Amino acid sequence: MRLPPRPQERIDRSRELTFFFEGEPRHGFPGDTVGSALFASGRRVFSRSFKYHRPRGLLCCSGQCPNCLMQVDGVPNVRVCTMPLREGARVRGQNVLGSLDRDVMSVVDKIGGPFTPVGFYYRTMIRPRRAWPLYERFLRNVAGLGKIDRGAGRTRRFDTEHRRVEVLVIGGGRAGIEAARAAAARGEQVVLVDEGLGPGERAAGGSFEVIAPARALGIYEGGLVPVDAGQVLIRFRARRIVVATGAIEQPLVFPGNDLVGVMLPGAVRRLTDEWSLRPGSRAVVIGADERALSVVAELRSAGTEIARVVDLRAESPRRIAAEGKKGRLASVLVDGEGLDCDLLVMSGGRQPAYSLLAQAGARIEYDAGRGVFVPIELPASVEAVGAVAGELPSGATPAATYEGGGKARGKCFVCVCEDVTTKDVRRAIAEGFDSIELAKRYTTVTMGPCQGRLCQLPSVRLYARENGTDEAAIGRTTARPPWAPVSLGLLAGRGHEPARRTSIHERHVQLGARMMWTGAWRRVHSYGDPAGEVRAVHEAVGAIDVSTLGKILVSGPDAAAFLERLYPNRFGDLRPGRIRYSVLGTDAGRIMDDGTIARLDDDRFYVTTTSTGADVVSEWLEWWNAVWGMGVEVVNLTGALAAVNVAGPRARELLGRLTDLDVSNESFSYLDAKQAHVAGVPCLLLRIGFVGELGYELHCSSPYGEYLWSTLLERGADLGLRPFGLEAQRVLRLEKQHILVGQDTDSESNALEAGMPWVVKFDKDEFVGKWALEHVRERGLRERLVGFEMTGWTVPPEGGQIVVDGRPAGRVTSARWSGELRRAIGLAWVPAALAEEDAELAIRVDGRLEQARVRLRPFLDPDGERLRS
Amino acid sequence: MSELEFLSTDRTRTGGGFEPVFRSPLADALAAAGPDVRDLSALGKVEVRGDVEGFDGLASAERIPLTPGRTLFLCAPEETARLREALADPSRTVVDVTGALAGLELRGERLLRRLTDLDLDGLPAVGAVARVTTIVLRTGEEFRLFFPQEYARSMAEVVLDAAAGL
Ligand code: FES
Repeated sequence: MRLPPRPQERIDRSRELTFFFEGEPRHGFPGDTVGSALFASGRRVFSRSFKYHRPRGLLCCSGQCPNCLMQVDGVPNVRVCTMPLREGARVRGQNVLGSLDRDVMSVVDKIGGPFTPVGFYYRTMIRPRRAWPLYERFLRNVAGLGKIDRGAGRTRRFDTEHRRVEVLVIGGGRAGIEAARAAAARGEQVVLVDEGLGPGERAAGGSFEVIAPARALGIYEGGLVPVDAGQVLIRFRARRIVVATGAIEQPLVFPGNDLVGVMLPGAVRRLTDEWSLRPGSRAVVIGADERALSVVAELRSAGTEIARVVDLRAESPRRIAAEGKKGRLASVLVDGEGLDCDLLVMSGGRQPAYSLLAQAGARIEYDAGRGVFVPIELPASVEAVGAVAGELPSGATPAATYEGGGKARGKCFVCVCEDVTTKDVRRAIAEGFDSIELAKRYTTVTMGPCQGRLCQLPSVRLYARENGTDEAAIGRTTARPPWAPVSLGLLAGRGHEPARRTSIHERHVQLGARMMWTGAWRRVHSYGDPAGEVRAVHEAVGAIDVSTLGKILVSGPDAAAFLERLYPNRFGDLRPGRIRYSVLGTDAGRIMDDGTIARLDDDRFYVTTTSTGADVVSEWLEWWNAVWGMGVEVVNLTGALAAVNVAGPRARELLGRLTDLDVSNESFSYLDAKQAHVAGVPCLLLRIGFVGELGYELHCSSPYGEYLWSTLLERGADLGLRPFGLEAQRVLRLEKQHILVGQDTDSESNALEAGMPWVVKFDKDEFVGKWALEHVRERGLRERLVGFEMTGWTVPPEGGQIVVDGRPAGRVTSARWSGELRRAIGLAWVPAALAEEDAELAIRVDGRLEQARVRLRPFLDPDGERLRS
Repeated sequence: MSELEFLSTDRTRTGGGFEPVFRSPLADALAAAGPDVRDLSALGKVEVRGDVEGFDGLASAERIPLTPGRTLFLCAPEETARLREALADPSRTVVDVTGALAGLELRGERLLRRLTDLDLDGLPAVGAVARVTTIVLRTGEEFRLFFPQEYARSMAEVVLDAAAGL
């Protein structure tokens, strides 16, 4: 099937490649594309159309149209006409039920016409409503192009690369290469990208880099140009962008214009010149410019007989129609003259490929003289060269459509991607979609794989004619990225999620911990036995990694005054070496975070925050520091320090083994902060009790966290020490009714209603959110956060409803089973009237109402004796 | 409580049965890495807020301006204490960030391009590398990254994965 060797051919006939089409071996040469090799093997039908499943063949042979989309090595929607052939490639047709040659779904083409007009899915298949799931399944099956291999997982690798260049040239045709050479000669750093395989040779000898095949997907702000280079998405940032995307040959609109055997001149040229193939044996050529008509010579040299040449510059036929047999071209009718042929080369002129320029902000206008849209004004640092800039030889403007006349009643396609016919467009106009932007959304013209390359201009021409106006008045649709279909995998890239891990992380994993996310942190949920972990803390001693706590150093002579002004609690009178708890409020008095603050010395405070609040609080502090101009230094030490909370009745004994510090209750009492070496590591020790037992938080430099942890576990083993995770901590703190910001509070909660009036010092002159809290105090409390215990055994769900008089009146924020209390306990927001000891609550659990009783004081150790002991 | 010893990595004491071990946050993550990736986490790192214009206390320390008011100094681990002392001045805030920042040395511009959109000809700079805020330095084809230690494993995973994709 190949012609004798030709001067410009790209194939290397000395070697043969074997690939498989629908499982059958086929052959080609290096230099072939999958498409050219299939064509050489005699294949003419390459795809089935989107809606009507009509057979389609090579139309553009340059990656512009939807006609050659196939599945190659499991990847759907590959344009085989530009896909280089590889040994062993596995190629299949897609969008067919059966095979490319016998597609069962093609009945739609025969009978579907009246049932599937444009926008049919808005009108049909909506009744009866109950049948929707069936319709949906059917539509899902037939909609879309290509099938994704659901079992594939991440079998293909996609990377993202960032590049900065002085000049980026998009398009490797003659003009693009010239521009690249010129810039390189001026000493500029130049990269040229091109969709095809050819520019490498054309650019030979130039001192610039060529990346091909690679598609520029768009031009974004700041000169950002993402380029699809197959497995790598290259995000170029260019100081100057030269667009040399050329012009795209436009199809003519006439009945049967989608038949297999109807081609654009470029396809003919590539088939004959590059792959030495004869596109057909007898041809009709209809063209509007010199370039289109020049294929006649090529066809002759390939041995194709020319039946007729219609030069649209010289003659204006009224009627053109193509007729076929089984979807393949058999004859062409020109003004009634029937011509048998198997190839029809058509061209309605060339439209500058301006999309990228339009995205960059260029003004695009219709040039009535040449019958195409051309870019007028370009934004700074974007340049257009060659055909895209409008440098086109003059040609004729073809008719918007050609009638078939007589018995030629084939479908007349405006858009081959989405199977939209002239009839559909007329119907849309009749229905009132007369603006091109609305009509685009309704008919989906320009929304298919070609992204308007082959259908924008014909549809505008048709619109103008049907509306009795001109193309300039119709205008064009907005050009948006991506300019070419792109795989979602390429856009997604490698999919790494940055995770924060404490310096003790690996030891937790070794201990068999179950990890969970809290914000970006990986934390221990439990070591497999949360109930046992809770028991260890109550009865012996436990250790939990709390390195994720936010830790902020606030220093400077104004530090005390600063915190005094920021927090609702009082810090001016806090003595060095002492600790105080507070919530942190917004200017509207809402709780944004909480934590303890230790005064290290006169000028330095150590502020802790919740695990997820560190960054926000740190920024909040810096913001107020700038607003008040207080000259305080705020240093976020969160990641710099590891922290372990050692808690339980035997915590003191353990600590005593590791430090020279006097750890007796008299010299190191509840809410004291001290610095000392623990196991040889300098630590800040905070005696606090979030989990309700005697406890010490040990903060040390991160690289020693793991050592400190291991030493604690080793030296505490005989005391019954167990590591515990967040689940155990949640139970323990709930037994004390200690709140978790974000869990028990939301963006509406304030400290008064959350049951912590004692942290709000109204007698202070000023603090952030004071006026708002004063307002709450005056208007009275509406709801309250209270503890509750269930009368039965059920643990209500978090988020469960509190029901009063049959209506939802509050919600459960935390609930757990307490092994220590042998009861289900929790925290809930309830109407203020119910915030009384022993008040009865009804909580909805699985549709039933369960009884609970309000508890206003900690369930366990209400007077804090264990904490202070 | 004048000095905040717990912020420093060089104030540990060996004795009494205790032998503190400094462990790099990258130790586990880089176990399987090739020789092109080096762990710099143990380097002494001191951040200074305030004026360091006239400072010439420790010649061997490398000075990296971060913002007009913030400077990072790098030095050999054993010089960290001397550097801190030399920098101490009432007009400055000096924070030992040795433990806060992990450090990684990589080779090859291509690899870096897969990790960050920073202008690699405009280094040093601070920006996102593998979506983590990082200080990036360059000497020829050698790049040094300093970033919050809690992201060490995440960063190592991304770096090694990107290298494998080249
Ligand atoms: S024939 Fe392959 S894209 Fe048009």
